[in-house]
Amino acid sequence: MVQIDSPDIESDEDGEAAQGGLRKIIHVDMDAFFASVEQRDDPELRGKPVAVGGSSGRGVVAAASYEARRFGVKSAMPSVTARRLCPDLIFCKSRFDVYREVSGQIRAIFQRHTPLVEPLSLDEAYLDVTADINGIGSATRIAEIIRAEIREATQLTASAGVSYNKFLAKLASDQNKPDGLCVIRPGEGAAFVQSLPVRRFHGVGPKGAEKMAKLGIATGADLAAKDREWLAAHFGSFGDYLFRAARGIDLRPVRSSRIRKSVGGERTFSEDIHAPGELRDTLDRIIDIVWERIERNEARGKTVTLKLKYNDFRIQTRARSLPRPVEDKVMFAEAARILLEDALPLPLPIRLMGLTLSGLEGVTKTRRASAADQLDLF
Amino acid sequence: MKATIERATLLRCLSHVQSVVERRNTIPILANVLLEASGDGAIKVTATDLDLQVVESQQAVSVESPGAITVSAHLLFDIARKLPDGSQVSLEAADGRMTVKAGRSRFKLPTLPRDDFPIIAEGDLPTSFAMPAKTLAELIDRTRFAISTEETRYYLNGIFFHVADDDGPVLKAAATDGHRLARFTLPRPDGAEGMPDVIVPRKAIGELRKLLEESLDGDVQIDLSASKVRFSMGGEGGTILTSKLIDGTFPDYSRVIPTGNDKLLKIDPKTFYAGVDRVATIATEKTRAVKMALENDKVTLSVTSPDNGTAAEEVPASYSSEGLEIGFNANYLKDILGQIDSDNVELHLADPGAPTLIRKDQDSPALYVLMPMRV
Repeated sequence: MVQIDSPDIESDEDGEAAQGGLRKIIHVDMDAFFASVEQRDDPELRGKPVAVGGSSGRGVVAAASYEARRFGVKSAMPSVTARRLCPDLIFCKSRFDVYREVSGQIRAIFQRHTPLVEPLSLDEAYLDVTADINGIGSATRIAEIIRAEIREATQLTASAGVSYNKFLAKLASDQNKPDGLCVIRPGEGAAFVQSLPVRRFHGVGPKGAEKMAKLGIATGADLAAKDREWLAAHFGSFGDYLFRAARGIDLRPVRSSRIRKSVGGERTFSEDIHAPGELRDTLDRIIDIVWERIERNEARGKTVTLKLKYNDFRIQTRARSLPRPVEDKVMFAEAARILLEDALPLPLPIRLMGLTLSGLEGVTKTRRASAADQLDLF
Repeated sequence: MKATIERATLLRCLSHVQSVVERRNTIPILANVLLEASGDGAIKVTATDLDLQVVESQQAVSVESPGAITVSAHLLFDIARKLPDGSQVSLEAADGRMTVKAGRSRFKLPTLPRDDFPIIAEGDLPTSFAMPAKTLAELIDRTRFAISTEETRYYLNGIFFHVADDDGPVLKAAATDGHRLARFTLPRPDGAEGMPDVIVPRKAIGELRKLLEESLDGDVQIDLSASKVRFSMGGEGGTILTSKLIDGTFPDYSRVIPTGNDKLLKIDPKTFYAGVDRVATIATEKTRAVKMALENDKVTLSVTSPDNGTAAEEVPASYSSEGLEIGFNANYLKDILGQIDSDNVELHLADPGAPTLIRKDQDSPALYVLMPMRV
């Protein structure tokens, strides 16, 4: 009376092969990008722990050199914390115009190999090289060539991951960082994911990992042991993604003209917060983190949304649309602060705060034109 | 609980409430309906999504034992649909199951306890008034198309109701997505004075409109506070819809309604609609702009697309101001023209960058404002 599931997931309808053959995907990720650019341009900084970002009270680290990472310094960490971990840390102001220029150089290199390039940010991209322009055929070989070309053109190193889908390619590029290459071949995906801690799965943050730990899930293998219904019951729509990811399956295509709808970020706190002063400090920190992402994604949008999750898990969002796209951090921070001030005093302590910039201007010219052509009443 | 109910009655009840239930639910009990059978032979069916709740009361054939239970809304609805016409359905809850019997069919459905079923706490609803269901239905029809679906401006995701004193006391309903605005005005019903401004969410409006369709001849009782609204229709034992209101501030829309537009175009809305629809065939997905060139008693509609070529059509009209060229999103224009049930519509224009006022005539309760596109 029970429908028996096929034990061989690769031949299941979810499998890659069943969906039109295997692809060749490369994920290229620059090593400690902003920090490396700073070290390249200032020989004094080489070999030293460097962080890019604001060093003042409320600044956050946008990028950390490998020397700094050894001390536990990470991106999105408050600068104060970073300084405590590594007293000799050297802070550099971010120079986004330079990063954008380098980013343009590496994208030009990608374009020489395939038109199917999906940039994720200034310093990483997915490439679908199933049919590469130069007919090299081997994705591993192409990844090596691209890494050499990037080094030649920018004097910077990149790591690359090669596999048959985006999920695995991204995991692979992380594997032998910095200046490394890792290949996950067809048939190896499921095994590779098995031993991986869940925290390495894209989309699983510290809180998600904590929740999984409580449910007895530490690795990909633990996830793979759960069925789809169980995952859906505990993780909602995210469960489906986890079900596939735990089997190394990811059918998302590489989209060369991906249109981002929004850029944002949020933080869950270890302790609920309620005091206005604390709320304002937290907001400033989130403004830093999100603005860094906005810069990284070259996003320009009009609507700023503040999200608050109360300690009873009720979510409130407040949005503000500006008359013109956000031009600088001051304008963004201003909109965000007004949203928070309007919400004060909060009825309950909050466990999470987030900020999003949306209503982004489209990537292609036609979209930009059409969005601007319709005039607004308000 | 044990009760027997006509299949047709059960089906009608469930069809009214089941669309409130979201198809995908993370909280299991929200997929259920609450069934309550009372000693006086009534059966009450309730569905909720936590923001919106619909309760329908009907007379059962018999109630053998009063009680309450919750079962899957979509399962029970699908079962009721497939049961033979004219049959009587027996519902009996015991030991965590509900047995549904009709003719030779028997179903045992899993249940969840009624105490877990969330009921929206209405609190005090100090403002109370009534209006004909037909009027409320027209108000919704004339405005809902302009409700924004953009969630970042959540305060536009509904119809805004407020009272005002223009020439006399009025109740106004407005909806806008930032590009167009629809407003409906009616004399203020008794009891609506002092009413707080409220925004009724889109889903509640949709469900309410469906329910109104079945009781168009009666009145609707409306009770509200600043945070909740309740619509009661169908008289005794009818249907009650309760909804939370959108917690936000609707923009001061009156300032975008133009008052000094001096160029008046009068035109047959059906001919105009058909012309816009025809030339828009050329328009691509992204650029839906239709250009209107106004001359003496004539409108020339045109669309130019880089990919698809060009289209033009002349529509006769009454116009005597100086010539003007202006562009509109074809779909927005069609949405508004589709609302005008007359052989004449007025467009009050100023210039190609200013809001245009559209209405049947100066006595019509509905008024529309449309922002042009650059062409």
